[in-house]
Amino acid sequence: MGRLGTVLSTRLLTKRYGSLTAVEDLDLEVGAGELFGFLGPNGAGKTTTIKMLVGLLRPTSGNARVAGIDIADEPEKAKALIGYVPDAATLYDKLSAREFLEFSGDLYHVERRLRDRRIAALLKLFDLQERGDDFLSGYSRGMRQKVSLAAALLHDPQVLFLDEPTVGLDPQSARQMKDILQDFCREGKTVFFSTHILEIAERMCTRLAIINHGRLVAMGSLQELRHMVGQDGQSLEQIFLDLTGTREDDVSAVLRGLES
Amino acid sequence: MGALEGLALGLLLWRVQLQMFLNQTIRSRQAGRIAGTIAGAAVILIAWSWEAFITWLGVLASHRVVLRIDPVQVLSLAFLAYTGVLVFSSLLFSLNALLLNPDLDVLLAAPRSVESVLASRMVVQVLRLSLLSLLFTAPALVVLAIANHNPLIPFAFAALYVLYPVFVVVIISLVSLLLIRVIPVGRGREVLTLFGIALGIGINLANFLLNPAFRDSGFARRPGLTPPLPDIPAASASWLPSGWAGRSAAAVLRGDLVTAGQWMLLLLAVSAAIFTAGSVLNGRLYMAGWIQAVRPRRRHATPRVRRLGGALPLLSPVLAAIVIKDWRMRTRDLAQLVRFIMPVVFLFVIFGLRFPRLLSAVHSLGDGPPAAMIGLIPAWILLFSLSISLGLSAVSLEGKSIWVYAASPNSTLRLLQAKCWSTALPTAFVVALAALVAEILIQPGWLWAVAAVVLAIAEAAAVTTVMVGIGAVFARFDWTDARRMMHPVGIFVGMGLFSVVSGASALLLVISIALAAVTRFPLYTTWLAAMTISVGGAIAVAALSILFGNQRLRGLEVG
Repeated sequence: MGRLGTVLSTRLLTKRYGSLTAVEDLDLEVGAGELFGFLGPNGAGKTTTIKMLVGLLRPTSGNARVAGIDIADEPEKAKALIGYVPDAATLYDKLSAREFLEFSGDLYHVERRLRDRRIAALLKLFDLQERGDDFLSGYSRGMRQKVSLAAALLHDPQVLFLDEPTVGLDPQSARQMKDILQDFCREGKTVFFSTHILEIAERMCTRLAIINHGRLVAMGSLQELRHMVGQDGQSLEQIFLDLTGTREDDVSAVLRGLES
Repeated sequence: MGALEGLALGLLLWRVQLQMFLNQTIRSRQAGRIAGTIAGAAVILIAWSWEAFITWLGVLASHRVVLRIDPVQVLSLAFLAYTGVLVFSSLLFSLNALLLNPDLDVLLAAPRSVESVLASRMVVQVLRLSLLSLLFTAPALVVLAIANHNPLIPFAFAALYVLYPVFVVVIISLVSLLLIRVIPVGRGREVLTLFGIALGIGINLANFLLNPAFRDSGFARRPGLTPPLPDIPAASASWLPSGWAGRSAAAVLRGDLVTAGQWMLLLLAVSAAIFTAGSVLNGRLYMAGWIQAVRPRRRHATPRVRRLGGALPLLSPVLAAIVIKDWRMRTRDLAQLVRFIMPVVFLFVIFGLRFPRLLSAVHSLGDGPPAAMIGLIPAWILLFSLSISLGLSAVSLEGKSIWVYAASPNSTLRLLQAKCWSTALPTAFVVALAALVAEILIQPGWLWAVAAVVLAIAEAAAVTTVMVGIGAVFARFDWTDARRMMHPVGIFVGMGLFSVVSGASALLLVISIALAAVTRFPLYTTWLAAMTISVGGAIAVAALSILFGNQRLRGLEVG
């Protein structure tokens, strides 16, 4: 738990689509200043959970609170404290990065002079100064991801939600993003991100949660997760595979079956 | 070899498209989709019945009046005109199918030759066009088959519909691959849209200037004179495919199946040869890397537009940000810009060229509300077009980027408020300008003119708001093609409500004139009261539509 108390919590958070349960009875607690990794196989419910936490999806039951504010009851108040970077950010193609950031700043009620100052700083931080006036239609996936992160940081949020933030980034940009997120947390703010890249999660996260088939299977620091599976010194990858039931010998058997 | 393989692959792709269509319509388990399918089928059935009825009337009339029209010439002309439609739709299709559609990578990665993949796209396009042609003409063909006691008529035409588009589709596919040497693929659609506008305006202007029907002074019919028909004698030339198709179709109609078969065989042979050669050439061009010929150009925001900076007087920063963002999106995307400019241009073509004659007719009414209200007709037509195209698409304009707003700390009502501003401002401005110009030219008396312009602005704001609300109820956020931004049901409801508002306004105008005559009240008072009621009614409808729109958006989940 973070040193400054709980900033994000969910209680029995559930999302159902007809007969399909995407997320079931999810209880999470994330503290201020934490870099929290949210892991799970494809289709485990990571994106659905994040979308519920940022108010894009309405939970079927249960609740989620950001800084004590229920996102379903007071969405506008809660959203003002949140920054969100989706996995594949669809941006307005016919706007330039600068114009998109200006638009985002106004949406989040950032005072105009402060907004312009922050935009200049963020464009510099993400090495986008030279392309800042180009239309977003000409941006690569990685550059869009950077613009999206810049927009999420613009209003100085308390909690940053990122869905697969390193997908599409080159190694330099991925490193830059890690540094930015760690700096962000050092200021006592919280990062909640989902990823498939377990090495990143292992190196960066203060605490982790693993979700499978919509249910939370483990939560804690890496050390706590090792204790949970009963094998100290194991890599996060091995812990993840153990907890989500994906075994290497199963995979080999299937591959051998394909060969025959 | 590539052509045959392409034919097989094309049929496979066609089957998949058919499956998708069936899954989305007949096999869909969603209540909305099922209702949409039933409504669509009902509309088609009504249109078919009407077409069959009109054709039947035509058949009956043809027994009574002997027209000296050469069927070969008329049918060849029809096929030549159809070529124009084929050219434009094939241009759009080729760009998408050969260069932009995301499934192209999947097909090219499969163990199939490039020639066959490109040929398969042409097969799908030909099948699609022939099916559409059949959909439009099937009832007329069935009626003709019954009237002529010749059940082969629909089948023969169906064969012509399959064979005739082949040469157009092949040539246009080749041209598209050559064109992208000059035009970047990403901008192809915009260039084609521009080409389409120029073509539309050109055809209208040429029609107005050259068509004898429009050069006739007055609308009165002169007895004994055959109405003049535009003609292109070369349409039925024996060296043109339109001539072959026309001859074949005419022969089928008169029951001469041997002649029909001969011309059809010629069409089949030439189509097969062109398709084979085109498949090879297409493949070679593609393989030679022509698609990489033009580097995508970096596009910048111009300094003039950048100065907008996000501020608009009287509007809060959030509202101003959305209004400015929408303005940028609409003006920078040609497909969006066309929605705005097209009605204005066509209104100019339709009204501008006939204005002197209309003006003299209105001047004869003298001062007063009838003249002032007639002056609002061009503005009203503009309002119809702009409110439908801008208002109904206002919320859908966000598309997949809706998450940006949905994740921000703002209410859905505020989004609707911003959308009302972003559509009402340009619409009211253009409508006011059109009304002002018309009133200045008509001169119905300054009091009437000013009141009419104010009325136009108020109605423009109210009607656009109505459309924004309806657009929100039927909003689509998953579109990739701007043409699919508006829901057909939304368009139907929007048009219906516009008709109700227009009808009510016209009725109130008549009542106000009658009331003034009966009660001896000053006409201006009764007219003003009537127009206030009209605007008030429109505002009430607008408030309701915003209420419904907001309910829809509040329930929106960005999954």
